[in-house]
Parts: sequence; C-alpha cells; structure tokens
Amino acid sequence: MSLSISLAINGRQHDVALNDPRVTLLDLLRERLDLPGTKKGCDRGQCGACTVLVDGRRINSCLALAASMDGAEITTIEGLAEGDELHPVQAAFIEHDAFQCGYCTPGQIMSAVGLIKEGMAGDDPERVRELMSGNICRCGAYQGITEAVLEAGRKAAENAQPQTGNPDTGKDAA
Amino acid sequence: MAIAEVEKQGVGVSMLRKEDDRLLRGRGQFVGDVRLAGMKDVAFVRSPIAHARVKGVHPPEDLRSQVVTAADLEGVKPIRAVSGLAGFKPSDQPVLAFEKVRQVGELLAMCVADTRAAAEDIAARVELDLEELPAVHDMIAARDKDAPLLHEDWGDNVFLETFVDVNIEAAFDAPIKITREIKTARQSMAPMEGRGTVAYWDKRMEQLVLISGSQMPHIVRTGLAECLGLGQHQVRIVSPDVGGGFGYKGILLPEDICLGWYAMRCGHPVRWIEDRREHLTAGANCREHHYVITAYADRDGKLRGIDCEATVDSGAYSSYPFSACLEAAQVASILPGPYDFPSYRCRTWSVATNKCPILPYRGVARTGVCYALELVLDAVAREAGLEPHEVRLKNLVQPDQMPFDNITRKHFDSGDYPEALQRAIEAIDVKAIRERQKRGEENGRLIGVGHSIYCEQGAHGTSVYSGWGIPMVPGHEQATARMTPDGGLELRVGVHSHGQSMETTLPQIAHEILGIDISKIKLVHGDTEYTPYSTGSWGSRCAVMAGGAVAAASRDVASRARKIGAHLLQVHVDDVELVGGRVKGPSGSVSLEEIAHTWYRLPQNLPDDVDPRGLEGTVGHKPKRDTGTFSYAAHAAVVAVDPENGDIEILDYVIVEDGGKLINPMVVDGQIYGGLAQGIGTALYEEMNFDSSGQPLASTFADYLLPGPTEVPAPRLDHMETVSPYTEFGVKGIGEGGAIAPPAAIGNAVNDALKDLGAELVRTPMTPRRVLEAIFAATNADSQDHSDRGGRT
Ligand code: FES
Ligand code: FES
Repeated sequence: MSLSISLAINGRQHDVALNDPRVTLLDLLRERLDLPGTKKGCDRGQCGACTVLVDGRRINSCLALAASMDGAEITTIEGLAEGDELHPVQAAFIEHDAFQCGYCTPGQIMSAVGLIKEGMAGDDPERVRELMSGNICRCGAYQGITEAVLEAGRKAAENAQPQTGNPDTGKDAA
Repeated sequence: MAIAEVEKQGVGVSMLRKEDDRLLRGRGQFVGDVRLAGMKDVAFVRSPIAHARVKGVHPPEDLRSQVVTAADLEGVKPIRAVSGLAGFKPSDQPVLAFEKVRQVGELLAMCVADTRAAAEDIAARVELDLEELPAVHDMIAARDKDAPLLHEDWGDNVFLETFVDVNIEAAFDAPIKITREIKTARQSMAPMEGRGTVAYWDKRMEQLVLISGSQMPHIVRTGLAECLGLGQHQVRIVSPDVGGGFGYKGILLPEDICLGWYAMRCGHPVRWIEDRREHLTAGANCREHHYVITAYADRDGKLRGIDCEATVDSGAYSSYPFSACLEAAQVASILPGPYDFPSYRCRTWSVATNKCPILPYRGVARTGVCYALELVLDAVAREAGLEPHEVRLKNLVQPDQMPFDNITRKHFDSGDYPEALQRAIEAIDVKAIRERQKRGEENGRLIGVGHSIYCEQGAHGTSVYSGWGIPMVPGHEQATARMTPDGGLELRVGVHSHGQSMETTLPQIAHEILGIDISKIKLVHGDTEYTPYSTGSWGSRCAVMAGGAVAAASRDVASRARKIGAHLLQVHVDDVELVGGRVKGPSGSVSLEEIAHTWYRLPQNLPDDVDPRGLEGTVGHKPKRDTGTFSYAAHAAVVAVDPENGDIEILDYVIVEDGGKLINPMVVDGQIYGGLAQGIGTALYEEMNFDSSGQPLASTFADYLLPGPTEVPAPRLDHMETVSPYTEFGVKGIGEGGAIAPPAAIGNAVNDALKDLGAELVRTPMTPRRVLEAIFAATNADSQDHSDRGGRT
C-alpha cells in the first residue's frame, strides 16, 4: 500500500509516496530526501540528535511517523542559515565553543531555536539547562551550549522589540 | 601587522574552530551520511545467548544469497590481538561465530537488503541452533577452579596475570593499615554517533575501500588486510567526520571485516550503521575493575606502602589492537599515582567473561585506579585524624624532585603537584565547608567536600609499547607539509580527529612557524591514501606527536622557502628570516605566495642549486624522550547528600590543571568540560549491568543513563603551565584527563558527607540506592567490617 503525503521542508514543497507506512520523519529526511544533517543517535526519543521544527515546534523526528506529516512545515538544520549568514543560534554556538565532534549539534541547535521561540527560558541558565535536557551531548559541551542559548535568547529578545518579524521562526529561513 | 597576526593565530591562542562551519550547517559528513549508488544495507544476526555451542545457523532457503554465515568466509582469519607480556593467552575472535558464541551480541550471520528494515526482516528469519552453556559473568568467580571455561584450551579464564613487588614487607609494621574492596562499574563509551562502515570495491584502483568512523585508520587497514589476506595496498580506509570516539572507535571490528569480505564479491557498496541497542549490548564495554587495596601509613599520614590485588573484567576476546590486558597491566604500573612512597606490591588479573570485550575508554585504567587509590587515601586521613589534603601533600612528588622516576619506573617529566592541590583546596574553600558542616543544613542534607589528584601519561611511545608487544607500537609520528602554488599550505597527518579540533590546532602550529594565515592552511586527515602511516588518535598523543611532526615538517618547508626567498632577494640565506609569512632580508622582503609561485610556476627563476624537494616535506617526529608527558590536575568537589532518598547534588566543582603549553586554551577547556561530564557519568549514573546468565541489562538510554545538561555543573577552571622539557613548545597530552579524577573527587566528597554516620561508599556509580545501602549498613551493622561494604554482588 502506498501513501502519499505533501509537506514543506525548509520552504520547499515535497510530494512523497511512502511505500512503507512505518517510515519515521527522521528516516524520510535522511534516507529519502537527501537531508542527512539531522542526526540519529538512538532512534528512540532519548537523545535529541534528531530534533527538527514541525510547524515551529521542536520534536524528535525519530518518534514521528512520516505519514503523520501531511501538510506540515518542517525546518531542519539545513534550512536554518540564510545563505552564508548563519542563524543567530548557529553563530552563538561558534562563539561559545558549544560543540566538539558536532554530531549532537544539529539537534542542539534546532532544540535551542525551538526553545527561544517558546520564550520559556528567559535569562536563567538553570531553566535553559532544564529545557535543553532532552538533548544529550556526549562530548559534554553543556557549558558552551548553555551560554550560546542564553546569548542567542538575549539577542532574539532585543530584536523582537523593534522589528516586525521574529528572527527565530523556522519559516524565516525558508 | 604581520606580527599581530602571528599573535592572533599561533600556538597559545584561543582561536575559534575552523571545523565549526560545516558541522553547524548540518554539512558534516559522518559515515551514516555517505550515499553511494546501489548501496545496500546490512543487519547482523547476533547471539541472544552469552555462552553457547553453535550447532547450526540456518538462513531461509529463499534468501540464501542475501545471507552470509561463517561457512561462507573461507580463508578469513579471526581477529587475534596478542600481547608479548609473559604468560598472555591469546584469543581468536571469529568474524562470524561458528563453534561457540561467547557473548550476547556476537555475530552469527550477516544479512543484506535494500534497506536496514528489510535486512532486519531477513535476520529475523535466520534460524539458530544454540546449545546454552553456563555463563561466566562475575570476574572474581571466573577465577574459581570449577568455573566454566570460555576458551577451553586455556585451562582457566585468565588472559594475563602480572605481579610486581617492591619491598612490600618493609611496610607491614606501619601503625595505620587500611584495606578496602573497591569496584567500578562496567560502562559503555556511548559516543552520540555509533560505529558504522560503508564498504565497496574500487575497480579502477583494485582496492577495497572502507569508509568507517575510526580514530586510527592506518591500524584498521593493517588489521583488516591481515584478516582478509590482502596486501595493504589493496585496502584504503577513509574516516570521515567522526561523532565522538572516546576509545570505542580505536578498534578493528568483526563487522568491518565482514563488510569488507562481502564488498569484494558483491559488486555494490554495502553499509552497516550500528544502532544504539547494538552499541550498548554488543559493542562497547569498558572500565569494570575490582580492587582489594591496602594502604600502609604512619600516624602523620606519610605513606609507607600500597598493596593491591586488582582484577579487570576483560570480556570474551582480546580486541585489536590494544589487547585484553591493556587495562589490568596498566593498573599495576600507574596505581602509585603522583605519589612517592617506598614499598609497593600489585597483582593483577585480566579475566575472560561472557561479556563483550573490554576496550579502552577515555582515561583508560586511570579512572578506576585514581578512584581506588584516592578513596583509600581519604580513609587513611580519617583514620589519622588529618585533613585528606594534608595526607596528600605529605606524599606527593615535589617539584624539586622533577623529573622523577617513580616506584614503577614511570618518568614524570615536569610539574608542581602540591601547588595544583593547594590551589584546588583554596578555591573550593575547605575551611568554609568545615564551618558549614558544623552548622548543618536546614533541609537535613549532609554536605561533603572531597578532592583527588592524578597525573596522566600521554603520548608514550616506542619504549613503553614495545614492552607490551601488542599489535601496534608507535614509532616516529610523521606529517607532510606542502605549500600550494598560491602560497597556502596542506598538512597531512595520520591521526584523526573525533572532536579534538585538529583542523584548527594543527594549523595553528604550522602558522606559528610559517606565518601563513590559518584560513589558507588545510588539514588533510582520515584517509590512508593521503596521509602518512600513524597509530592514530589515542593515549592523549595527537598534540604532542602529530603537533610535533607538523612543527618539524613546517620547519623543513620553511628552510627551503627561506633559500628560495634569499635567492629572489639576491642576498645570502643567512641574512634572511621568515616572519609573518614573508622572507625578509636586510632591505626588502618577499612573500611566501611569491616564493610558492616561483617554485611551481616560474622555475626558471630558481637558483641552480635549489633543493629539488621543493616546498613539500614529510618529516618524522619523536619527543626527546618517548616515555610520555605527564599532565596532571587536582579536582575538588562539594556535594550535598540527602540521607532520606540517597540523592547526591554537586554544589561546586573546581579543576586546577596543568597541560604544559596549551596550543589552543579554548579547545583545552572544552576537553576538560567534556571529560568532567563523562567523569560525572562514571561517578553517579552509568552502569552496564549483566545478569547471571550474561544478559546485558541496559539496551537503551533509558537504562544506561548519560549525564545531561542538568547533571553537569559549570566547573571553575584554573590553569597552570609547566612545560614538558621533551616536547615541541613544551606541550603535554591532556585530552583524557578530565574524565579521570571526578569519580574519586565526588566519591571522597560523598564519603566526607557520610563520615559522621560511619558510612562509606566504595563503588561506582554512586546511585541513590547505593547511598542508602551504605547508610543502612553503617547504622544497622556497626560491627561489620569495612571491606564488606560495597562488596561483591
Ligand atoms: S535519534 Fe531521536 S531522540 Fe535520539
Ligand atoms: S559535540 Fe559531540 S556529542 Fe555533542
């Protein structure tokens, strides 16, 4: 049985025929749509490496069935920067040495973008750690990650006032 | 201007990393990201039983061509990692098991299909006929006379027993004698990216190409070629971006050999990407040690001697290249730590059990050794009524003794251990903690302060490893430096980065010597085809060995560039110097760009006697002494222990480290933070348990707990800088150190918190249940001997 879905990924429309209804969003991205930037660390919702934004909300793409994504707007790590210009969260990750091997990094960054959008962490490092706790980094770059998320959050808050658009919506990147 | 650039980019500068951009954009290429036309997926059939006779492996008839069993692998040799140490018993690790399986997860068949899911469907249909044997799951019981045997021809289950005795009798009359039985849990390295391999046969090059996240591609090539009976020129190993290794990616896997064998015959690429369950249950085990350790001391805390029996659970096979005895043999030589005492005895056993082979994990044996020794030193302090740091200060090797040959003939190159400890004690403010302890906590929690100190041998070379006689002995480390026609530089090294930032730090070294802007220096690594032979990235050796080689190769190119530059300036070579990327004479200068342009594109302008090797050089490097650098650190922790529920919270953490000259301090900080995170995992969370039938009990991250951002506090770092007298720039290896000391520092802090209850915890991880058990044991069985606490389970 083949199932057809239509979804927007990083602003591009994709029509996909799923020949296996069990395929996850993560495998769809990585194996079918040539978007391997999103990583697989556990395939069970326990590490956060596969985090993407679906309609602006962060989710573990290894736990989402591709079949349930009909009509969704998805942002992955590949769609975050505007050409050469890095997204503020990405730039903050460089500035704060927030990774070593870089394997957890796409998930960390997408999770941070989602978190800043949620607006729940404010300027509190403990809250940031708590709300980023679904993303494991075995290289242990938590210190840098926390600082990077705080800085990007501060910048987003500053920019949110005078400007009309929110620089942290995944859609902007499309 | 040029000078300013040198200051911004050379050795000692916290430069932002060159590798960051692609990783941040999701453009890194890890092995799972490789896409090749026609590539098929592999799933393995693995043993569900820890110890069994293999009576039969039956692929489904209709899918026979998609299944490989041991019977198919004619001529393929087993993995055999021997050690030259006297009495070592080698094991043959079959690529696919046939007579026996000796661990859960051992490979029995390989299934190939268009997708992993389809391959797993085939694997599920392969019928196994296994006759279960009693399993060996406890390393102490494994040494019993009547224990079942893993390798029947051995007669026992001991890979290797070692013994060293330096006048231990002289310590026996010491007034203080403290004995503890101490255990560290079996762990998994758990890099976020597991192992993975893509294999294909390159028809034009007549070469088997294996793309595999590896810390040591050249060693994998050597081992793989030997198992498959190929010439080494017929094998190429490509290690792309590597998502963390920590030791796990430093080995040759049977999976690699299986895929290689298949790729040579099937006409299309195949890939296997380890899933998390495979990783946790079948692939990566480390750290499981058992100590019975006695400290002899005088009343003033001066150590008279250490006596120890140490056992390491080495698992079923000796893995390639480090062998099954790496940990236990190291225990005997590094147990004395940074201390100076006159008597020592240590007996060690590397024991075979029905678990997956033990592999070196960041810090290797040091984490366990540091935990055992530092715990027993704190017990000595309690017995003597002294502050633990007072006992340590009495026994640490003093700076004026450096360089120092210790009781096991380790040669400490340089350092001021007491200073590091004192700084840590001051920073954590032991006095204030003692006051706070007196006042007590309103919420009933118990506060404790603890510390630990270690020194870490890194970049040890030929003289150390030749004695072990394992399949890999590091010699000279080589690097190639090659100027490009536009004045840029390529560096080629055989080590490989799995997060260490080498694409930044090694160019910083070349920049220091040549002055070429770092954006124009490219590191080529992770490919046996393009890089000089190397034992790879392990043993905290890359900064010292590859860094030294890059410096030597850069100097080689610099000297030839100077000669060409002098000729272009029409002056004698003795009258020029290379500064900031320009060769400067008494009245004028010429850039490296112009020099490179001349060598490659205007050779008519070169002097007649120009060195024909041009602007390219491969140079080998060894430090002046190859016995290793000794970086060191003192860690100090304050914890709050809740005696009601056993919870441990880290309130403060201080690290004072000395890694000699740091190439990039920011990168070193990152390594220390990361090591600390892993050390906290060892101390409080991570445990790979097996039941009595040898079944692994943790198969997901819900059972195997990794520390997350809320578990790892922000430590306070303090740096000292004592250069090594033997290395380029005085650098020392420091990549592993952060993971060594935390279990000991936290363990001592916990025991400090529990001391008024008379409780003591001597096992990792220090879980709430174990805390409560220790308290319960102390309050309910006051007469119980200490050594029973945290004893065998
Ligand atoms: S891969 Fe999705 S949470 Fe780990
Ligand atoms: S950077 Fe390696 S796992 Fe996070």
